[in-house]
Amino acid sequence: MMIKCENLRFTYPAESFQLAIETFSVEKGGSVALIGPSGCGKTTLMNLVSGILTPQGGQVIVNGVVVNELPMAARQRFRLGTIGLVPQNFELLDYLTIRENILVPCRVSSQLRLTGEIESRCGDLAERAGIAAHLDKFPRQLSQGERQRAALCRGLVTSPPLLLADEPTGNLDPENQDKIVSLLLGEAARIGASVLMITHDPVLLPRFDRVVEVMKLRQKGGAA
Amino acid sequence: MNGLGVNTRGVLFLGLRYLQRNRAKTLLLVAAFTLVWLLPAGIGLIVAKVESQLRARAEGTPLLLGQAGSPLELVFNGIYFTKPQVATLPLRDVDAVAETGLADVIPIYARYSAGGHRIVGTTLDYFDFRQLEVAAGRNLLRLGECVVGASVAEKNGLKAGDAVISTPETLFDLAGVYPLKMTVVGVLAPSGSPDDEAIFVDLKTAWIIEGLGHGHDEAEDLGEDEKIAPTAPGDTAVRLNASVLEYNEITPDNAERFHFHGDVSDYPVTAAIILPPDARNQALIKGRYTKAGGLQIITPAAEMDELFATVFSVQRFVLALLLAIGIATIAIGALVFLLSYRLREDEFRHLRHLGADLATLRALVAFEAGFVILASLIASGVGLALIHTIAPVIIREMMG
Repeated sequence: MMIKCENLRFTYPAESFQLAIETFSVEKGGSVALIGPSGCGKTTLMNLVSGILTPQGGQVIVNGVVVNELPMAARQRFRLGTIGLVPQNFELLDYLTIRENILVPCRVSSQLRLTGEIESRCGDLAERAGIAAHLDKFPRQLSQGERQRAALCRGLVTSPPLLLADEPTGNLDPENQDKIVSLLLGEAARIGASVLMITHDPVLLPRFDRVVEVMKLRQKGGAA
Repeated sequence: MNGLGVNTRGVLFLGLRYLQRNRAKTLLLVAAFTLVWLLPAGIGLIVAKVESQLRARAEGTPLLLGQAGSPLELVFNGIYFTKPQVATLPLRDVDAVAETGLADVIPIYARYSAGGHRIVGTTLDYFDFRQLEVAAGRNLLRLGECVVGASVAEKNGLKAGDAVISTPETLFDLAGVYPLKMTVVGVLAPSGSPDDEAIFVDLKTAWIIEGLGHGHDEAEDLGEDEKIAPTAPGDTAVRLNASVLEYNEITPDNAERFHFHGDVSDYPVTAAIILPPDARNQALIKGRYTKAGGLQIITPAAEMDELFATVFSVQRFVLALLLAIGIATIAIGALVFLLSYRLREDEFRHLRHLGADLATLRALVAFEAGFVILASLIASGVGLALIHTIAPVIIREMMG
């Protein structure tokens, strides 16, 4: 399994929201779409998997490592090496060019080296994402769809075994939605990565191996 | 990488990119911090330079004789050759001091200028007293010759054999003094003092510039149309009218025709350096002239002490103000950084989500703040070096 969550319990401090999931898993190389109404806990579950949040109970195992038992610094390093994150709002740094944004994981990591191979991969990814001509531009010079493709390239540039995408198509028109999902799943398949993606768009669901409704996961507390 | 697990090169890259993309803010912060460091340091440097220059020269000049008035103006004229409008005293008073036998006396007449450089009329004793050496050419021998300071020669490309023309003081006065063309016979070695900026002439040459002495063709050789007719029967005096041309250059051919009217001991000097051989004679001379009316004998070093007591009290006040402004500027700079980091919270949060650890983010913040402070310190250093270089010009301007 790429992701395995067991007896997961999480509560935000001073909030009534509670997330309790008995089991949840994603196979290696598989793709899973997380769906559910706003506030049901999709992003919380994704943040628990990535180690951004720490559960009060249970275990999150990613690629064989119990993420929630890692100290914070080790968790950061683990995330950089194992997980590619694709946020909804692109989160590109406005003072860096698109190329520099794609390579930013190598700038903030003490373990990832900015090698010629990674730079070459950046170029290849940008080529396939259709943004090669924009590599030396700044984010504000690109359209929403192009920015999201740049964010996707950033998530993929280190060839992580797991891609977590939080509504990457949320701000895009249908044409761009399709492009992004095709790119995401295609590149993940190319490197054999697993994909966990949050989406609200039912049109995109058939593209995934499995669809998990977070509300059912919580109500049933059963396996997905 | 470093011991903290921080990607140093990555941090430098991101920090520099941020500062570069926000260069207006960066430059403003650097400029503000530069002023915080530079202003007090620059003022301190200039005051220290002024003090060391003024004091060294003043302490090397035991006493100064001058017409009663502002002691400081007398100091500035007598040893720095500024304040040309200081009241004059007749040469007779200078000779009187010499005649007491209590001290040697060197007259100074620093009133006129040439090309922005003061023309100093004095005697050869002055060169011995200041230990000035002629680096090229020779010292003064005849009327109409001059020896220029090292800076004067360098700035104007002057060498022995060239000429210097005094600046007319009364340009629109037709009856006024015409400029005198003087021959440069020597260039002094640099001394790092106001002597480098001066043009030295014999006292009599300075009086010719003033118009107290002049040269023209012999009266008996002139035609009747260049003379004024006798005003009364039996009047045998020869009076020349304005059509007689005065020489504006003293040459070996016309030097003998230069002459002075009246009693030379009435001719003016602006100051006189008094060189008593010992403290006893110095005290005696000072005692005599304390009571003498119309004249003053001052100790330049004591005048400098008074001047700098005032300067330092003003400096302390200014530095206190600058300190307050500096603290305010640093506080505003810190606020700009804090607000900037608050605005960048999302960016930092996202970098953390990507995997950046706290040490990396702290290093990024420290680098950006450190860069601004370091850049401002470097700019201050450059500014101080510049002030150090142009300090002599500033000092000259300050002393008028």
